[in-house]
Amino acid sequence: MQSVACPTCGADVIFRSAALPVRVCDYCRTLVVRYNQGAQGQITENGGEAAILPFDVSPIQIGTEGRCFDQNFQIIGRVRWAWDDGAWNEWLMLLADGSHAWLGEAMGQFMALREVVLTGSLAQVIRRLMNDRPVKPGESGNIDGQSYEVADVRTVRCIGCEGELPFTAPAGWETLSVDFRNRDGRCASFQKDRHGPTLYVGHHVTLAALQPRNLRPLPGWSVPAYG
Amino acid sequence: MAEDDSVRSLSCPACGGTIALRAAGYTVTLACEYCGTLIDATDPAVRIITRYNEMQASLAIPLGTRGTLRGIEWEAIGWMERSDGWATWEETLLFNPYEGYRWLIAQNGQWSLGTMLTAAPQRDGPDQIVGGRRFTPFYGGNTARVTRVAGEFYWRVKPGEEVRASDYVRPGFMLSLEQDDREQGWTISELLTGREIRAAFDVDPPPFWIPGMTPLAHQPSPYARRIKDWWPIAALSFVALLVLLALFGRTMQPQMFSLSVTPDGPTVSQTFGPIALPLGKQAMTVEALTPSVEQGWVDIDVSFVNRKTQDSYDAYALNEHYSGQDSDGYWSEGARSQTLKIASLPAGTYDMVVDVQAHHWGSSGNWAFDSSSRTYKAEGQPPIEVNLTVARGARFTSNFWLAVLMILVPPLLMLVLHIMFENARLAQKDGSPADADDWLRGMESP
Repeated sequence: MQSVACPTCGADVIFRSAALPVRVCDYCRTLVVRYNQGAQGQITENGGEAAILPFDVSPIQIGTEGRCFDQNFQIIGRVRWAWDDGAWNEWLMLLADGSHAWLGEAMGQFMALREVVLTGSLAQVIRRLMNDRPVKPGESGNIDGQSYEVADVRTVRCIGCEGELPFTAPAGWETLSVDFRNRDGRCASFQKDRHGPTLYVGHHVTLAALQPRNLRPLPGWSVPAYG
Repeated sequence: MAEDDSVRSLSCPACGGTIALRAAGYTVTLACEYCGTLIDATDPAVRIITRYNEMQASLAIPLGTRGTLRGIEWEAIGWMERSDGWATWEETLLFNPYEGYRWLIAQNGQWSLGTMLTAAPQRDGPDQIVGGRRFTPFYGGNTARVTRVAGEFYWRVKPGEEVRASDYVRPGFMLSLEQDDREQGWTISELLTGREIRAAFDVDPPPFWIPGMTPLAHQPSPYARRIKDWWPIAALSFVALLVLLALFGRTMQPQMFSLSVTPDGPTVSQTFGPIALPLGKQAMTVEALTPSVEQGWVDIDVSFVNRKTQDSYDAYALNEHYSGQDSDGYWSEGARSQTLKIASLPAGTYDMVVDVQAHHWGSSGNWAFDSSSRTYKAEGQPPIEVNLTVARGARFTSNFWLAVLMILVPPLLMLVLHIMFENARLAQKDGSPADADDWLRGMESP
């Protein structure tokens, strides 16, 4: 854990993760970016301002803990994405081994995803996506040794973020998002913006399977006792 | 915006009515429950998508109603009516922030709980397999169209929206594929029992199927289960029947009486007794045996006369035997023994009054003219011995078969109803006509 002063308002900004470079200031919503400058220690920079997250009734919150990928995790950040016909949350999980993964939350369903390196022999559908060529739902291809089908293809934009993040997520940032799924409940997500493509692979999970603790209490609803 | 409530309320930009936003962050479209106007819930300015001005249907489950189904509390947040041109059904969107969404689908008064699948089913020939359970094709390539909406949805729903739908069934469950140009989604819906849906949302219980009603594609035949339930009852009834037969159908305490009668002689009348019947409503069996009757017949009238009431219960036997020699050799006909059964004798002490008359027929023997009857009568024929064995109880074989038939009538009736149900259900099937496999699957339990 590391504490730095917000370059905009001076408030304490705490990084739980050792590796993640970005943290949204809880007070002024500045995207605080830290660089490791060797002996000079940390320097910080104002990376822009994050939009205010609209109210939602997500059961997850910063600080929710549980188990995923056979490790304990803690939720430390969130990016909210929107497209023409809806919006969803990508919660950032800090795993016990120090790595991070994403917990996608859309339409009341959850996907646990980890970034994979885009190298080696890639499926034709992935290569076409990387070259900005059109791909349609229903097309199939192999990712990481598994056969997947394209579930949807959308251009999405960031509408807000909070907590710690592996990248700056300014409001209005647009990216192409392609979701894949397969028969066993595995799923994958391909994203491409002006910085380049990224690929995430994982599986659908239920909230109960995450054995979550410290869920967000929602007035009028009783928090289920999981585990 | 009060942070202490999960529900946001806003006013409809068309009619001004106060409407609730119950799944903030998920909901994309909100249909005003008063005027039907579609509102964009993703827009902070609450923009109108399509203005309507229609009276909304009064919903079986009003929006905002909470109910607990299988241990999970759900809130009804959206409602839509859909039609495929033939059938119309209603879908209520249920929401719990910790559990996500479910659908309650109502058609023909039956309710199903729909869950969206995150994994695609496994294809096996024409069938689809989900979690080891096989679904066979039923409806294929229909267009399901949204006709009316109210409340909130996680996608841009609007009246007129169409999806292509294919449905696969197994008793009690339906697997549905809905797809448009952008997405495809699988849903499993499970038929809820009347008790479950009633306990959760206090709706009218589903009607019991009677001939003439249209069953749902995944509705299990109520008679299939009843037929299966009946077999143990039938087997038990059959065993009980055999036990009853063994207990009460047995003849007990036989008493033997005999008398002799001269052929063409006078009627012999004799009274035997007492015969005691200690139990009420008993049957009596009288076996009348005339071992020596030959070329003649014996009329045996038996009356049981109650000593106290003088009530009389009568039976009659005719024993006869003839034989001879002709071109085909020796022949004989007739029976020298008869069994008489008298049902339902009241308890009491009885006398058995027997009137016996024997006749001779044929050319052998001596004949003499009897002036009193003005007929020829045989003379010098040996007397015929009549042996009567009287026993309490009787075995009525016809009753046994009647009872067996009674045991079989309910399952046969239910089988007929089951066939009518399955016929009505499978008549709706698209694609290849219903085959033996479809019928066999219809017998399976959910």
